[in-house]
Amino acid sequence: MHKIADVEIQHDIMVANRKLARRNQRIMDQNGVFSVDVLGAIGSGKTSLIETLIDHLEHKVGVIAGDVISKYDAGRFESHHVPVVGLNTGKECHLDAHLVKHALEELPLENIDLLFIENVGNLICPVDFDLGSHLRMVVISVSEGDDTVEKHPLIFQDADLVVINKIDIADAVGASVEKMVDDVKKLNPDVQVITSSLKTGKGLDEILAAIESYMS
Amino acid sequence: MHELSMAQAIVDTVMDAAEKNNAQDVLEVTIEIGQLTMLNSEQLKFLLDVIIEGTLLENSEILIEEIPVEIKCQSCDFKGEANTEGSDHYLTIVVCPECGGRNLEITKGRECNVKNIRIEKVDEDA
Repeated sequence: MHKIADVEIQHDIMVANRKLARRNQRIMDQNGVFSVDVLGAIGSGKTSLIETLIDHLEHKVGVIAGDVISKYDAGRFESHHVPVVGLNTGKECHLDAHLVKHALEELPLENIDLLFIENVGNLICPVDFDLGSHLRMVVISVSEGDDTVEKHPLIFQDADLVVINKIDIADAVGASVEKMVDDVKKLNPDVQVITSSLKTGKGLDEILAAIESYMS
Repeated sequence: MHELSMAQAIVDTVMDAAEKNNAQDVLEVTIEIGQLTMLNSEQLKFLLDVIIEGTLLENSEILIEEIPVEIKCQSCDFKGEANTEGSDHYLTIVVCPECGGRNLEITKGRECNVKNIRIEKVDEDA
């Protein structure tokens, strides 16, 4: 004889990721590591910004380079003589706490006090996956169009720091930097928004100061 | 597009529970998806239907329930279901229904929860 039975499962896959994220943060805290999840659009300047920050910050920096194929970005960071772990996501569109956990195992955490985790260039999927970082920095640029913020509200609602990059070419691409700043402020009134151009150096001091203030 | 990896995690979770409960067949799977996740229920269901082929779940009905967003407002202390807008982009923008504030703690709406399954098993009492 067969019978029908209802089985309660109540297993939340998002909660499982968040638990792992909390564990990642505990491991970093125990090692005195402050971490920044660098999220943003493809080509917005995430890698260049991290490279610039490595050169300007007086901290022992480490990097987790997440990408569909991570070796290109990882190679760029290695040329700055910092410990780097590349995370290949393959067909996946985001990093998750599980991947970061493995990267943390490979890094010399005792020699790192500031860890950048470069996420996959994507303004949608990474929103769902907390990595355990202390700061979520979203980097976009004017060349994605000045409607980028209003089209991707959730990532900005969750951000701790927003960088709007490449403002030196705003006129050339017909983007209003003011509109982009206003759109972020509408979604997340308290967030710090920094407009920058890594090419001219505009905004770099503000980004450095913001990271320092979060670390202290 | 992370529906595929989530679909796989859901199937793994269900298979695990089905095996532990000696299921011979899985008839129904109920999943709760929070309105604030970046998961598209239609895509998720499509992918689930594809990857359960040839498994114990093959003939099961997949039911997806949407979980509305609940908040705690940091400005006015409101607790409960949030106002959501933003249908233009099929995305949810969360606002406090009391004061219109956006400085909010999200207390519900980020779930991807495998809630329960209905299985067929040998009735050991019969």
